[in-house]
Amino acid sequence: MIQKYRAAPKDDLIWHGLDSMMLLFHRPSGIAHILADPAPAIMEVMEDAPLAAAEIASRLTVLFDVEAGADLEDIIFARLEELSALGLLTRVSG
Amino acid sequence: MGEMHQILLKIGPAAFRIESAWRQPLDQLADLYQNYPEPTGESVDFTVRLEPEKPWRRYIRPSVHIDSDFWLPDAAPLPLTQGLLAAEIGMNLQMALGWRRHLLIHASSVEKDGKALIMAGLSGSGKSTLSAMLAERGWRFMGDEFALLSLNSGEITAFPRLISLKNKAIEAMQNIVPPSRFGPEMEATPKGDIRHLVPPKQAIARMDETAKPALLLFPRFGHAPELRDMGQAEIFVRLTQASTNYVALGEAGFHTLTRFVDQIPTKAMDYQSVEQAEELIESLWSQLP
Repeated sequence: MIQKYRAAPKDDLIWHGLDSMMLLFHRPSGIAHILADPAPAIMEVMEDAPLAAAEIASRLTVLFDVEAGADLEDIIFARLEELSALGLLTRVSG
Repeated sequence: MGEMHQILLKIGPAAFRIESAWRQPLDQLADLYQNYPEPTGESVDFTVRLEPEKPWRRYIRPSVHIDSDFWLPDAAPLPLTQGLLAAEIGMNLQMALGWRRHLLIHASSVEKDGKALIMAGLSGSGKSTLSAMLAERGWRFMGDEFALLSLNSGEITAFPRLISLKNKAIEAMQNIVPPSRFGPEMEATPKGDIRHLVPPKQAIARMDETAKPALLLFPRFGHAPELRDMGQAEIFVRLTQASTNYVALGEAGFHTLTRFVDQIPTKAMDYQSVEQAEELIESLWSQLP
């Protein structure tokens, strides 16, 4: 089974740019998070769909100038786990 | 419970009732706050009670216990000679923990030409002393403890309570301010030597005038004079740490703080003397739009 993730509903999130970082206010928890790349981009390409790390990697490659390399999926997987721990994503069974 | 004395005080937008088992702290408050207006209307925002720690403590080695709507468990009772300090601490705590009409930032602020300079920093950064000094040099004093940021307009509302001078700052201010504006000396309090200073008359008379935030500084005393840029993420995080009610305000606090960070020019400022700080501030101020 491939682990999939779904981003928190758009209406629950308020984004605000701070120089090179993104500030994300999560309405249900009332907590503001400061996110560095590529976490904001990951959440952006996920939209409302439940996606696995590989699917997110291919979406990112289309939209952004992503350096080719085998570890892209690993990096995305690590960020997805961190964002889940913060409550900004939920794990969905695939 | 014996008889309680009381005094009503209005400081900026907040009305307080201070009740005390003893007259002495209230007489001192009445003297120091004599130029402040009385609260209008029936109700006050906060009540602070100064009570004996134990009933017999009213007379024998009196010890002041501060009681109020909001309280912190680690605030120790103070001797009666420090009753004025207890009242001031009580008022600050009520604001810090209970006020919801503004975003509170632990910072001093002064105003010139309708624009506010806000100085945020930890205890010992010199923000209180700087605001007291600038208030004697052509700036309007708006507060040495809290900058009150409007949730709607983003303007700063003054909260010009007594200036709490500590340790070396006491002597520095005694050199330029007449003795009549000082409260009693309180030595070896939990916060060191403390003496309260009454803000200049015009700061009290104009306390209902708001100001547009124009410059935010993070002063640091004791280092060679320097101004440094700060990233917005660092500014945001330090302000959330400096705010006493950011979390309680939820989304409104987030919007108010992000707008503030977006709009206000900000620098970290190191300095070793008030003269150096004033020079750095004037150089920044003259470049403002």
